Amino acid sequence: MILLELEHVSKRSRRGVRDALDDVSLAIDEGELVTVWGERRSGRSTLLRIAAGIETPDTGVVRFAGGDLVDRGDKKLGEGIGYCRTAFRASAGQHIVDLLAATQLARGIPRSTARSRAWKALERVGAKECATRTSEELNGEELVRVAIARALACEPRLLVIDEPTIGVELIARDGILALLRSIADYGIAILASTGEGTGFLGADRVLALHKGTLRGEITPAFAPVTELDRHRQARG
Amino acid sequence: MAATRAKRTPTQTMTSVVYWVLLGLVIERPSYGLELYHRFQRMYGDLLSVKSESHVYGALNSLEKRKLIETIPGTGVARQPKPHYKATQNGAHSYQDWLVTQVDDEPRRQELLVRQLGIFADDPAAALRLVGRFEEQHLKSAAPAARLPGVPRDSRAELIEDLVAERRRLADGGMLKWLHYAEDRIEARAGRPYVDDPPRT
Repeated sequence: MILLELEHVSKRSRRGVRDALDDVSLAIDEGELVTVWGERRSGRSTLLRIAAGIETPDTGVVRFAGGDLVDRGDKKLGEGIGYCRTAFRASAGQHIVDLLAATQLARGIPRSTARSRAWKALERVGAKECATRTSEELNGEELVRVAIARALACEPRLLVIDEPTIGVELIARDGILALLRSIADYGIAILASTGEGTGFLGADRVLALHKGTLRGEITPAFAPVTELDRHRQARG
Repeated sequence: MAATRAKRTPTQTMTSVVYWVLLGLVIERPSYGLELYHRFQRMYGDLLSVKSESHVYGALNSLEKRKLIETIPGTGVARQPKPHYKATQNGAHSYQDWLVTQVDDEPRRQELLVRQLGIFADDPAAALRLVGRFEEQHLKSAAPAARLPGVPRDSRAELIEDLVAERRRLADGGMLKWLHYAEDRIEARAGRPYVDDPPRT
């Protein structure tokens, strides 16, 4: 089932001199991992921010779970979409588990549930040992894992992550991509971006963005029955 | 001419990739013909083809004549012990030399592709279409190549698989960068923004 759909989305760059996105259409299925390759200033971050509902397009439609994302106002994030941010700037001195809980408290989740979800999410991404550390104490890989955990704690159906392996050591990079693959296998759709071919690992589809235009197979291929079985098994 | 011919060693005339690959398998582990045939199929069956076991036996004979491998007496308990083959020192050195020449081979293939694309330099519409098709083809093959291995493997197979996959992904990313660069250059030469089949006024 199509979870996220962009139809003829266009967006001018902030300075208005070029199209950050030019008539982009894209559909992502549940449990699908789609990686968009693009160089700097190709429009990849704008695409991801629009897909997550953080930015609005100038023209075009963005649908999430059948509803118009633009009309959802400030309820976009936390209600089905997780946008991974590795920046924890306003968090100096705070433990990671508290940070993850705070993100949910802001969305009205009760404290006990928020902490329990935070622990579970950290365990899920293999970053349980980071729980009682501060963001300043984390290395590149741990920051990405914790950022994914922060998004997962809100139980999203779609995870959006911009360059998940940037700042991650080479030897740890494949572990992050394998984690994203396992999350997708659990049924959570993922839209990721990369500037390197090495970021393709685990992707169901690879698309390219150049000068604001999206190239490649913009709609999911028909999922074979075996794939559906795999998703069902993963969900238990 | 005669001097050049005198300098040649038998390995310089061996152009068959199958023969070289077979030599590599003998270097990896001395063995007999049928086992080498099965190992060949297992490791390279999806990339190279040998018609039958007799193809492998023929190749082994040729490698032996070139003194790249030699026969060691069979050690099996069967009534007719199978001849085992092991690599000679010359064989091991020649194989490594050949591997190094293969590194040169890929840039040559790429350059060939670029020169062929250059045929359309004065027809930007055709050149851009071709670049677009290259990109489409590349994106189609990038995802299957990006699959994570699904079954537990031994560490040796895992290493080979991981190295092959990483090489492939790096090449995919590099190719996409090159295609976009080519697109920009073709467009710039044609006068940006280039419009294919502009509407008639």
